[in-house]
Amino acid sequence: MNRRDLLALAAAGIAPMSLSRLASAQAAEGIEFGAPFPMSGPFAVNGKYGELGVRMAIQRYGTVIGRRLAYSVFDTEAKPATAVRKVQEAAQQKNTKFFVGGILSPEALAMGKEVHRLGGVFFCYSGADEITGKECNAATFRWPVPAYGAVAQTLRPLIEAQPKAKRWYTITAQYVFGEGMLAATKDVLKEKGVELVGNSYHSLAEKEFSGYLTNAIAAKPDVLVLLNFGTQSTDALRQAISFGLHKKMTILVPWTSGLEQFQSLGADITEDIYFGAQYWHKVDSPTNRELIAQVNKELKIMPNYTLAAAFICTKCVIDAIAKAGSTEPKAVISALEGMKFEGLTGQEQIRKEDHQVIKDYYLLRGKAKKQMKDADDYVDVVSSGQSFLTVEQAGCKLS
Amino acid sequence: MSVYLLQTVNGIGIGMLYFLLAVGLSIVFGLLRFVNFAHGVFYLLGAYFCFEAVRQGMSFWAALLIVPLFVAAVGWVAEKTLLRHVYAKPHEFHILITVGVALIIQELVIVQWGPLGDSVAVPSGLEGVVMWGDFIYPKYRLFVIAVTGGLAVLLWWVLEGTRLGSAVRAGSESPEMVSLLGINVFRLFSLVFALGAATAAIAGVLAAPIRGVEPFMGIEALAVAFVVVVVGGLGSFTGALVGGILIGVVQSVMSTLWPEGARLMIYVAMAAVLLLRPNGLLGKRG
Repeated sequence: MNRRDLLALAAAGIAPMSLSRLASAQAAEGIEFGAPFPMSGPFAVNGKYGELGVRMAIQRYGTVIGRRLAYSVFDTEAKPATAVRKVQEAAQQKNTKFFVGGILSPEALAMGKEVHRLGGVFFCYSGADEITGKECNAATFRWPVPAYGAVAQTLRPLIEAQPKAKRWYTITAQYVFGEGMLAATKDVLKEKGVELVGNSYHSLAEKEFSGYLTNAIAAKPDVLVLLNFGTQSTDALRQAISFGLHKKMTILVPWTSGLEQFQSLGADITEDIYFGAQYWHKVDSPTNRELIAQVNKELKIMPNYTLAAAFICTKCVIDAIAKAGSTEPKAVISALEGMKFEGLTGQEQIRKEDHQVIKDYYLLRGKAKKQMKDADDYVDVVSSGQSFLTVEQAGCKLS
Repeated sequence: MSVYLLQTVNGIGIGMLYFLLAVGLSIVFGLLRFVNFAHGVFYLLGAYFCFEAVRQGMSFWAALLIVPLFVAAVGWVAEKTLLRHVYAKPHEFHILITVGVALIIQELVIVQWGPLGDSVAVPSGLEGVVMWGDFIYPKYRLFVIAVTGGLAVLLWWVLEGTRLGSAVRAGSESPEMVSLLGINVFRLFSLVFALGAATAAIAGVLAAPIRGVEPFMGIEALAVAFVVVVVGGLGSFTGALVGGILIGVVQSVMSTLWPEGARLMIYVAMAAVLLLRPNGLLGKRG
């Protein structure tokens, strides 16, 4: 063997070891966030904006406790089984311990359990009461107001504003989230002495709502409430307008994704419709103003709910890592519990007993096109407030 | 007026759109013995081209005429350049190729128009509802029933009363014999494929003001089209009409009888028809 061959062999042996060490060093330096979102299928639009929200937070901070922040997006396909598998892969392959996502309740419930089993932290933004209720666990945190609060903060003000509206009809998506919304609706209507004259359930795959709207027309309600989400509430509302129902009754959509949904519908459809929302970009809070400035500059759009929620969830975890001075999940969880912070809706706090963020929920009303001051000025804020089940009522027992 | 009568009328309206969506698929299979899983994208393209055309200032009526011709041209090119090369292959190849084409086109739609859905305004003159006692029904949906009814008559005349229709019906029995009679079978195949694409595109244009546009509407449309074709009978024009109306009425009436199961009952109805008549209501044996 000559000198040249010996040097070549030595280089061949050292190079992979160096690369391995470099990769290890990078892995040791970085903090990896997992972002499980539905990036394909009917909820892909939510996934797209969710990923942008995580990106904004990661880019804003860059590092925490001297370590570089990074994230990876996983396509859950809006299926719980796929979501769980992706979480497992991330935990095994990249040692990911912090997850932000879970737009849909079934996948959020499933992922929360898996992250808990794996010893990580999961900050989600779906609506089923169970997530910080009967199915709560120590690893899972939730930013949005759950179904109960969304219904309470939309129905109550509307009932008070329209005291003569005594007959209400609901169209409900038949899955855990819809059932929660319906149960909360029944409670509020009963409390206020208003009659629920009928309900039509529909499947999670439904796109044709004319049959259910015909049921509603036959019941002659004063108010129609659409208890569904995403493209289903968009389709149902569009078809309700085509049936002229907005001229015969008040229409309320207690749970919306805000700006992106209004953009999809257009002002001609949203005019005079009542919407509930977790976030509206015109809310005046320092954190919201900063987010709007960052998103305007980097993405040239106005932040919508999905983006904003993913941002604040990621920010909370990053802040908790900074507060704990550690990436050890138990320390981060302790830092999150009870944490008060300046959130997107003003002062917000993570309730220690069930990991639910206490924040405002908004009742909005659609404006006429000619009243819009800019392209995103779809609604006026009618009211806002906080309604949450107590920990005992929610049924959460954190272990 | 009884809610069931209202639901039946509504079901006919839904069913006519399903017929238009499914008839192209049925005719293509009848002639070409080709399982076209890309059929839904012609519906998708029809809806999106209509959306874009209206956004660019074209009237809805002009879009209703022009967009199906454009999508038919897309279907013609797809058939000539790609799909005809797999006709002789087993059905698994048909599925593989057409699913691939469908996914590519769907992703291209997302690249062009984004993943967010959008709305198409109802054309002026057709906004509002018709009211007759308790009966309330959108004028636009009545228009859709009228147009699809007219198209059904036109298609029936083409298939039953023209030389082209004779060739299509004969070709569905024996393409070899049709070829021996001097008819360019390949051109016939392309024409029929384009016709199938055009009818799906018309359904997309008509559905856009009702359902809006969103990138995954093709998949949902394909599922319904297959149900209608299976119920009516593969290769049967009249079967597609009867199947479409039947499925639409079942879905609508079940919205009152069993709302949460209305969508499931579409597939239960299909299963029931298959058990009683395996070739569909008006399908042919063999």
